[in-house]
Order: sequence, then structure tokens, then C-alpha cells
Amino acid sequence: MTTNEKLKIIIIQELNLEEITPEEIDDEAPLFGEGLGLDSLDAVELVVQIQKHFGVEIKDMEEGRLAFRSINTLGGFIEERRAA
Amino acid sequence: MRIALRGVGVVGGFGCGVDDLRRTLIAGRCSPQTASVAGTEGAGEMPVFLADTSRLAAFIPNRALRRVDHFSRLAALGACLALEDARLPPTVRQALGLVIATGYGATRTTFSFLDTVLDHGDACASPTFFSNSVSNAAAAHVSILLKITGPSLTVSQFEMSVPAALLTACQWLEEKRVEGVLVGGVDEYCAVLGYSWQRFFGPGPTTGTRPLEWGRQSAIAGEGAAFFLLCRDEGDPPDYGFITDIRQGHLRHGGLDLAADALLLLGADGHQACARRYARHLPADARVATYTPLYGSLPVGPAFDMAVAALSIKAGRIFAPPPGAGENPGLKIVPRHARLDATPIRCLKFGREGEYAMVTLSGRGSI
Repeated sequence: MTTNEKLKIIIIQELNLEEITPEEIDDEAPLFGEGLGLDSLDAVELVVQIQKHFGVEIKDMEEGRLAFRSINTLGGFIEERRAA
Repeated sequence: MRIALRGVGVVGGFGCGVDDLRRTLIAGRCSPQTASVAGTEGAGEMPVFLADTSRLAAFIPNRALRRVDHFSRLAALGACLALEDARLPPTVRQALGLVIATGYGATRTTFSFLDTVLDHGDACASPTFFSNSVSNAAAAHVSILLKITGPSLTVSQFEMSVPAALLTACQWLEEKRVEGVLVGGVDEYCAVLGYSWQRFFGPGPTTGTRPLEWGRQSAIAGEGAAFFLLCRDEGDPPDYGFITDIRQGHLRHGGLDLAADALLLLGADGHQACARRYARHLPADARVATYTPLYGSLPVGPAFDMAVAALSIKAGRIFAPPPGAGENPGLKIVPRHARLDATPIRCLKFGREGEYAMVTLSGRGSI
């Protein structure tokens, strides 16, 4: 399972997005606002879930903002941190 | 005191809504489900009256509920059903207050939150679990989902939570702070409660709850929500009658002053430690009924007792207590299909330590 695929499952399960499937999440679509429509509380929950499932901490607000743009940017961020 | 009871919303092991509760009262029986319980000697099972909140989707879009936990869903469903029952126009909701009573609060979420801390450290504590574990979360969810902008409050005083919440609601109405108050009791079952229940009380009765047999521990855990829309006594007379008295006290400060022939709806729920209070303090000629075998034992049981009293007033008769409530030759148990006439119904609850509460409901004819 790729990081992006795992991320989609985590987002659906941990943020209780029961009405969508992983296949319906576009890798390039915005996670917040339009696209998936997540909000600030989801962002806090995602930070925790990423640390829990991938061991990657997001401490800086600015790097979080860049990472949380889409599944692709978040997956890339996680892989980059894990490789470092 | 005369507070009009305009709507009732209930969800519990018997089903969802006043029609389900009425049908269950007439049938006189309700079977609990079975829950798996972890124990020190392996997994076991125990009977529990569990509530299904799936009907909430008829009132609120699923997407809006994704961060709303089971406890808050129970509260929201009870509140929606009470508003629907009262046929209250949505525009009036802004002038409502909200008071939620609970004995245990959102236990599933609270223990899930603690699990995330224990399993992964405090850095990985779930913020969603945390936000739902705070005491007023359900009231906040209900206010937001139903667009209620009046004051909200959560009251927790274990088995006396419901009368305490009712006192607050009546105070708000008498102060004219609000046009109406949605007030309700909510409690949920969770795995930790099941574990604790088995440790304290054993595997549960095999013959059902028999709350009128004072010497027997026969309580079955329940969960659910019972909500009421209360208003000042203005406009059309309410079908469910009026709350005409709410009393709370402790037996160490004196006994209850009850009429010898009072009609009492007892909150006895199969706990032996509380039952001795009823045995000692009921007037000899009082007519008594109890319906806890239909919704189980939960700290906000008095809200369900009050819902039954309200339905009785609307129907003009006292429902026969479930046959399974047990036998007690020392009690005058109300007979089947007893006519209510003008007698007020007093919902009486004793706690384990001697605390008590009594909520009196009266129909139009009894005032």
C-alpha cells in the first residue's frame, strides 16, 4: 500500500468521512475548503493521526499549511521526513 | 408552579419516539440486547437495553454528524423528537434554552480519549475525542445542529440529574429568560460500564428486571435519551399536562411528606441498595407503578419515568406496570388500564445514600 493510499484510509476512518471511498479522493484536490471540505479541527486531528501512524511530527504551522494542500503534498511530505 | 409540557422525545431500548414507547407500555414487555463484556476471566455477555440513533438521519444530514459521538447523537435525537412532537416552528427555536442532564456523560468518548493517551502518549491524544469528552459537548452539538441560540447547561448529579435539570429549566422560564426550554436526560452504555457493572453486580439477572421485589438485585443496564419541551402556561392547554412540583431532598433531613393514597411512579430499577428506601418510605395505601423493565437502569431513568407519566396524562389512564416488574404483596400496584381521573402522578426516585427527588405531573383536570 502506498503512502497516499494509506493516508486516504486514515482520513476516511479517523475523520469519519463515511460517505466517500478512497478511490473518490483526488490526489491533487485540496483537502480543506473546497475539495474534501475539511476544517481546522480536522487539521489538528490529522496532525495527531500522522504522528501516530507514520511517526512524523508536524510542528511548524507554515510547513503544515504547505503539506496539507492535497494528498500528494501530504504523502510527499511524509515520505521526505521518513527518509531523512 | 405550573409549567406546560408541550413535547416529548424518547429513544431507548424500546425504540424511538413516543409511539414506540406507548406501544411498549401497552405490550408490557421489552427484551434487552446482549453486549459483550471483557472481564478479568475472559470475555462474557450481559443484557443491556441499547438505543439506536439511526433515525437522526431523518432530521440532520450525515455529514453534519460526522464528529458527533453516540452520546451527543442520543441527545440530538431526543431533542429533535421532542421538537417534532411539539410541532414547534423552526423560527421559535432561537428563543429556546437547553438543559441536558446526565449521570455519567459521554463515557464511550471519554474512555476512547484516555485510550489514545495510554496507547500512544499524550502527543497523540485525539482532539476530536477530547472535544466530545468535555461536559457540555452534547449541549453544544444540539444547540448548533438545531440552531438553538438560548442558554445551554449540562447538569450532572448522578441519579438526581434530571430533577436538578428540571429545576433549572423551570427557573429560566419563570425568569422569562427564554420562551421554552428543551430539557432532557441522556446516558450511554459503554464497555467500561459493562465491565464495572459485572464486577459490582455479577452477570445480570436471567429472569429480567424485577424492581418491585425489594430484596432482589435484578437491574439491567440501559441507555437512551428522554427530552421534553417545557413552556410557561400560556396558550392552548398541553396534551401532556403540567409539571406542578419538583422536590429534591435527603432523608436525613426528614421523610417525604406524601399523601397516604398518592399515585406514585417509582424509579425503582432493580438495585437492591436503593430498593430498601422505597420499602421503608412508601405510604401503605399508595398506588404504585414502575416501568424500568422497559428501558433499564440508568442514572437519567427519572426522565423516562416522567415520559411515561406524560403519556399517561395524555392517554387519561395509567399504563399497567410490566408483568415482569415482580410481585410484592405489600404494594398496591395499579391495575391494568386504570383510569387516571384527576390524580396527579408523582415520579419518585430514591438514591442509594438517601437522596430523593419527586416530580409531579398533573393533567388539566387535576388543577
